[in-house]
Amino acid sequence: MKKIIALALGAALLLSGCGGSNSSAAEAEEKYGSSTLKLYNWGEYMGENLISNFEDEFGVKVIVEYFDSNEMMYTKLQAGDAYDVLVPSDYMIERLISENMLQKLDLSKVANISNLAEGVKHLPYDPDNTYSAPYFWGNVGIVYNHNNVDPAEVEKLGYSILKDETYKGRIYVYDSERDSFMMALKALGYSMNTEDEGEVEAAYNWLLEMNNTMDPAYVTDEVIDGMINGNKDIAVVYSGDAATILDENEDMSFFLPMEGTNLWSDAMVIPANAENPLLAHEFINYVLTYDASYDNSETVGYPSSNQEVLDDMSAADGIYGENEAYLPRTDYDKDEVFEDNPVLKQKLAELWIKVKASH
Amino acid sequence: MRQFRNMAMPYIVWMVVMIVLPMLLIMLYAFTDQGNDVATIRFTLENFTRFFSDKVFMSVLKRSLYIAVVTTVICIFLGYPIAYVIANRSEKSKMFWILLITLPTWINMLVRTYAWMGILQDEGIINWLLGFLGIGPITMIHTTFAVVLGMVYNFVPFMILQIYTALTKMDKSFLEAASDLGANKVQSFLRVTLPLSLPGVISGITLVFLPAVSSFFIPKLLGGGQYVLIGNVIETEFLTSGDWNFGSAISLAMAVIIMISMYITKKVDNDPTANGKGE
Repeated sequence: MKKIIALALGAALLLSGCGGSNSSAAEAEEKYGSSTLKLYNWGEYMGENLISNFEDEFGVKVIVEYFDSNEMMYTKLQAGDAYDVLVPSDYMIERLISENMLQKLDLSKVANISNLAEGVKHLPYDPDNTYSAPYFWGNVGIVYNHNNVDPAEVEKLGYSILKDETYKGRIYVYDSERDSFMMALKALGYSMNTEDEGEVEAAYNWLLEMNNTMDPAYVTDEVIDGMINGNKDIAVVYSGDAATILDENEDMSFFLPMEGTNLWSDAMVIPANAENPLLAHEFINYVLTYDASYDNSETVGYPSSNQEVLDDMSAADGIYGENEAYLPRTDYDKDEVFEDNPVLKQKLAELWIKVKASH
Repeated sequence: MRQFRNMAMPYIVWMVVMIVLPMLLIMLYAFTDQGNDVATIRFTLENFTRFFSDKVFMSVLKRSLYIAVVTTVICIFLGYPIAYVIANRSEKSKMFWILLITLPTWINMLVRTYAWMGILQDEGIINWLLGFLGIGPITMIHTTFAVVLGMVYNFVPFMILQIYTALTKMDKSFLEAASDLGANKVQSFLRVTLPLSLPGVISGITLVFLPAVSSFFIPKLLGGGQYVLIGNVIETEFLTSGDWNFGSAISLAMAVIIMISMYITKKVDNDPTANGKGE
């Protein structure tokens, strides 16, 4: 394995050499028509050196803005803001494609697309990578403190452990309508993409009951610090965050419920109104290289979309070799990818705030 | 005279563009829905019936009003004595104290609220100190206490400043007259100072109640995700749900409720002033 790393490193060095490592802004201007790239990404979602390395290597300047929800990004995009690269999630990409808000990728300029991990190939929202190149991916599962919660119990109950009053006041639930309804629908044995009103109603009641009996804390990123500090015993989290938590606190374990979960992915896309599509392609290609992807995954803890990085990190001697949360579960028939359904989403958003508001 | 009227034009244009137009847009959104393929706009009252007929939304509304009233009352009882003490100090000392009161408002409200998050946390500074005394930890974050504390902290300067201004503008000769006529300190406060400072209290109430009833980030940060006030519902409708029509309807309904309560406050204000002037 070490050999492969060395080889890859060598190849990367060679490649960067070809690209002209000390490119100047003027050269970039000539080659791409501009020397600035506008990137719109999630907060705390990039490797420490990703941007500076890219800037040095291609002699360009990257302007980064951050969003904390797909909807926020969508609202800004609709308001006419122009970015060169976005990193939205699966269902949002589906919507952007259907609304003609994205450019097709010129795959001849994204040679590294061949590095894609098996788990993120042929994703239903864009099976041939016509518009998108995966960035990070993962599942949603349960992190629990194995000193206070019996692992056998977690495995037996799955999501229903969130309704077990033994753990009242000791749970974190992710504050997003998508993830909470996913959990409720899966717990009830339904598809998380259901359009059946009865099933949605049942999930709503499931969540209401949890809200009224369990005194849960609804959090987003606070869940990471909360679980690292051991404030609560059970939390529903993204597998990438779970990997970070497990890294920092040995008392924590991770479990993917057998009722199924969400197989999600965030991918890089180029909006239709991008001003520098050429440079955008270069950036996307760069992120898919071994080095950049390794940097990303090492810093953030989310699974890489590069198969080689994924293999190396999850190998026995890799940095996530002993981390049960790092490698996502694939090929399980109860796991699903979110589909875009604006009408349903609007309804779920409203039901979710009602769940939280009822005491 | 005509020249002066022309000079007002820029302000009128500004007000129309920045205040009247957005209000009209909100009204338009509130009374329409997204329509279907044939008609793009359809007038309806559905947004309002949906809001007022929903038990959960009504309980959120009640909770928001309750929190805002509690915050306002605490601000009055906290702000009045402070304003009174400052107003009775020497000119120099006044300036210093008012500067101290306004100083925190120079820092962004969000930053100050985040600071409270750190202070109130289970492993925050208060619980750390309590730990030395062998008490706690006491859970303070994500409670009503934390939300009200955050609001009082953020909004009390507005109350103090309003009351302070009313108190310093007061004609001191009224107090002299009162003591000439044999009133003791308590009597002259209750019958002269208090009635004359009421307009300050009323505008203080407006300045505290309005932001308190519609605040969404203070409950979000200090109350946690489970602490839903009406401002959070409006935020969700606009940002997550994308239902601008329903969000606008709730905003408009809130505006009307606030206007009515302001009207009532003004009415209440008028009675004791008449009484206090001893007519």
